[in-house]
Amino acid sequence: MILDLSDTRASAERKGRGLATASQARILIVEDDADIAALLGRELRGLGHTVDSVRLAEDALLAARGTDYALMIVDLGLPDIDGLDLVREMRRRSVEAPILMLTARHKVEDRVIGLSSGADDYLSKPFAVPEMRARVTALLRRPVRMRGPRLAVANLSVDSDALEAVVDGVGLSLARKQFQLLELLVRRKNHMTPKRMIEEALYGFDDQVSANSIEAQVSKLRRVLRNAGAAVTIETRRGIGYRLAVLDTASN
Amino acid sequence: MPRAPSPTPAELAVLDPDGGFRQRLSDNLDAITRLQAAGDLEAIRVVIHQLAGAAGTFGFTEIGDIALQIDALDDLSQRPTDLARLVAALHRAIAKKSA
Repeated sequence: MILDLSDTRASAERKGRGLATASQARILIVEDDADIAALLGRELRGLGHTVDSVRLAEDALLAARGTDYALMIVDLGLPDIDGLDLVREMRRRSVEAPILMLTARHKVEDRVIGLSSGADDYLSKPFAVPEMRARVTALLRRPVRMRGPRLAVANLSVDSDALEAVVDGVGLSLARKQFQLLELLVRRKNHMTPKRMIEEALYGFDDQVSANSIEAQVSKLRRVLRNAGAAVTIETRRGIGYRLAVLDTASN
Repeated sequence: MPRAPSPTPAELAVLDPDGGFRQRLSDNLDAITRLQAAGDLEAIRVVIHQLAGAAGTFGFTEIGDIALQIDALDDLSQRPTDLARLVAALHRAIAKKSA
């Protein structure tokens, strides 16, 4: 197999930017079948895109660490780890690029698991090249803000349009204010969120807010996340605020 | 099972410009024959699974369909007759394309 791993490693170090325009995007292919990878590369380069191609999940994670890809095409059956685990790990690392999952598995449940793991679309092998091109173009056409409603941290995803929070594909039962709190913390996942900011987000001017209402909401939400097996928790910094943190056990 | 529409001859030339995939078909067949003789069913499944995904994409729909049928067999060790029949069909289909 001849794949341009060296180019990908070099590009990872260059810290390139993936998305120039939808018609000239940087795309990562993660596929161990050299013929399929070569076909995808030819087709996508023919559309004007820049393409990096790797055959191992480990190399994909390395590439995604240094390059902000506009799109990833991930095969499910990779030699080192399952493609589903790779997608979950990408989302855990807050890689937001749309992912087109490619697989020769044809069961409906495979597609459902793939999509609930963080993939944005799904293409079954064998595939027709025009359909692949159309799906890639459609995914690239989505503006970044259109990808915004669904946020993911570790095995938790939050859809602000559907008002739904999910851990490992299972929906959480949350009161509205708990959902709003969770969404706020996920959106600010790398930052401390002051208590006052949470109060302003959750309560109107005329709402009566007791002294410990935020603490109570955080405590309930923390319990829901723990019971659901979420790989995140809510850290408290006394006098500063709260921050969503990924649990160490979720890392490799 | 999904089946990609058959590409036109012009599309085929673009799909496999250097004939690499056509060559791979006979390599895969040699590998399957060798693995069958060695009784390495897991390794056969890996080769067949990739072939099932790729052959139809490159326009070899009959070969892809047969590979898909083998790939769909739950336990190859319990289906020796089916495996032998389908591998023989695969031989014929690849020989037809190689002729």
